[in-house]
Amino acid sequence: MKKWKQVLSVILVFALMLSLAACGKKPAADTSTETDQAKDNNAVTEAADSKDTPTDPPAQNPVTLMTVSMHGGTDANAGNYQAINSQFMTDYPYITIEDDSQSADQDWKTKIAADFAVGNEPDVIQYFTDANASDVLAADKFVSIDEIKAQYPDYAKDTLDSALAAAANPDGVQRAVPTTGYWEGMFCNKDLFDKYNLELPTDWDKMLKAIDVFKQNDIVPIAVSLNNVPHYWIEFLMLSAAGPDGYKAVPETAPEDWCKGLDMFKTLRDMGAFPVDTDTIDNDFAGEMFKNKEAAMQLDGSWYLGGIPDQDNTVLVSFPVIPGGKAQPGSMVGGISSGFYITKKAWEDPDKRDAAVKFVMAHTNSDSVQKYWNGNGQAAAAVKAVDNMTPLGISGMEYSQAATSISSPTDSRISQEAYNTLVAGIVDVSTGKKTSKDLLDEVLAINAK
Amino acid sequence: MNYRKGEKIMLYKKKLPLLIFLLPGLLLMLIFLFEPFIENIINSFYDMKSVIRLPGQEWKFIAFDNYKKMFSDPKVKIAIMNSLKMMILAVVFQVGIAFVLAVLVSLIKKGQNIFRTVYFFPIVISATAIGLLFQLFYNYKGGMLNQLLKALDVPAINWLSVENAFKMVSIPIIWSYVGFYFVIILTGLNAISDDIYEAAAIDGCPKFKQVFYITIPLIRGAMTTCVTLAVTGALKVFDLPWVIVPKGAPQGTTHFLGTYMYEQTFTISNIDYGSTIAFLIVILGVVVSKLVSKLMRPDANL
Repeated sequence: MKKWKQVLSVILVFALMLSLAACGKKPAADTSTETDQAKDNNAVTEAADSKDTPTDPPAQNPVTLMTVSMHGGTDANAGNYQAINSQFMTDYPYITIEDDSQSADQDWKTKIAADFAVGNEPDVIQYFTDANASDVLAADKFVSIDEIKAQYPDYAKDTLDSALAAAANPDGVQRAVPTTGYWEGMFCNKDLFDKYNLELPTDWDKMLKAIDVFKQNDIVPIAVSLNNVPHYWIEFLMLSAAGPDGYKAVPETAPEDWCKGLDMFKTLRDMGAFPVDTDTIDNDFAGEMFKNKEAAMQLDGSWYLGGIPDQDNTVLVSFPVIPGGKAQPGSMVGGISSGFYITKKAWEDPDKRDAAVKFVMAHTNSDSVQKYWNGNGQAAAAVKAVDNMTPLGISGMEYSQAATSISSPTDSRISQEAYNTLVAGIVDVSTGKKTSKDLLDEVLAINAK
Repeated sequence: MNYRKGEKIMLYKKKLPLLIFLLPGLLLMLIFLFEPFIENIINSFYDMKSVIRLPGQEWKFIAFDNYKKMFSDPKVKIAIMNSLKMMILAVVFQVGIAFVLAVLVSLIKKGQNIFRTVYFFPIVISATAIGLLFQLFYNYKGGMLNQLLKALDVPAINWLSVENAFKMVSIPIIWSYVGFYFVIILTGLNAISDDIYEAAAIDGCPKFKQVFYITIPLIRGAMTTCVTLAVTGALKVFDLPWVIVPKGAPQGTTHFLGTYMYEQTFTISNIDYGSTIAFLIVILGVVVSKLVSKLMRPDANL
């Protein structure tokens, strides 16, 4: 018995030591994996060098680059992003990319902010450049373009100066290299409008008439999830009511125009303009309704255009001005709000510095910008006209070119907590449970904190 | 156990090996549970700008502002009420159905294992998968239930309307955990000696009465465990409602304390207020579990 107990004790102590050792040794294990990977890469590099392929000097140390972008999930440019990454790894075999791209939503933004706060930031990140990036910018972990250009004069050489200026952070410093800008607009299923002899909603009355007719014919007039992504409607209703100047100002108490704009949520809801289950569906489901022709109109951004299956019968119209609204017809929400940053973590690592610069240049040169843009939104570099544009693509281009004003959305000007409070309160405003003034006062008070 | 005299004493005298084995667990709990918990309480008194204080960032001390806000927040009231309702539903339906099923299964001699597996199965499916499944059932456009209604020429129903949502969300929450309590109760039932039932049968006690006079009193320990777990589990409900009706949809009516805390912290980025709600959840959890053990008195001699 005693002997068994001794044996058991030894086994348990051994197991404990092993588990502790396993905890402590994890990075070492990773390193060994990296070393193996490094050996492989070295082997590939050597092989590549022996074939005289255009790679860097043979003594390049293997580098693993941690990258993050918004081109993940269902993003229309996810394929382009991955293709550029694959080509990049082929061109530079000693660089391995560990990519963690995801669709940019609020949860993702919080995760990124947490990563930066705890020192777990990636080497290169494609992220917001406006107030949406305030948490991350506060950590002061990005390298400015000027600093990079001092050592790499060709950095961002293809990017237009105006695009770099538009992608400057709120403190005026240029850190991010943008690829494309965006616009937001009203997508309409033209075939449904034709079917019911309706005019496209170029003014408010036409939109109200369309809502009425579609409702009678069991078609959802406007596909939107008020619980998930009412953002586009918030922006256009406030822009329409206040005009570009009033929209872009950040007051301390609720302006009457903003209230007037948000009050339209209740008007539209009471008319039955939104889906019956607008309080519970998510944005993807609302999008499916529009794509399946179960809904007639949807407000969304330029990134949404490529994912619409019917490129022939879908058109873009500018948002109709609400009654008494101060905006001119053709006022548009859009701009450049993201770009590729290099973190100080990568910059201060001699091996990663060069790899990170190459990575950003690979994604922001004119060829890549051409792919990302593809006639959609705004290109941050000089691009060639796209030959095979779809009718919807042409409609989008005409819509954006006809814009009488371009205003960046509210979340680029107010704090995230304030903006998220605004978004979370829209359902209550639409039902009348809360007045738009109460909500906006709360939002602006949070922003002023 | 045939311990020799000295051996038994030595086993209890040597505390060091015991401590060595207990220490890692204690350290893990201190580092990953108690330290964050205390930090969470501290955070609830500050106006946090981000998840972690970044270099050069100042957080304003706001004392009890978050607590004042919490006690006047109508959504907290909804969340507490929903959590309380869920506790009652969990005890009545989760534990109740599990008890009935366990008693019925314990009465059959063959095929117990099949029932055990079948009833336990929902536990092994991830809550997210169950949530997505039920979301597809409930969808207004093209959901399974409305497709069935359409086939029967009945107008479609908004299953997740303000009036229906709480009931609809409760169904998968209850259903998915019945198997868990079923297994606990069945194990308790199997521990009751057959002799007692045989003696009762000889005395002429019918099966139905045996449940009340033998089974229930003898599985009081297992039942207490189940009720405590069900009640505290109801306070922690998060994953299923978050998947089926995120952010307390529709109109904040299906918020539970867990979902409201998550929305405030991660969706709205009001992290300090989320910390305050998290503290409330812990306080309620401790109070409720103490209350249950007081009411159930698992060790008392009745």
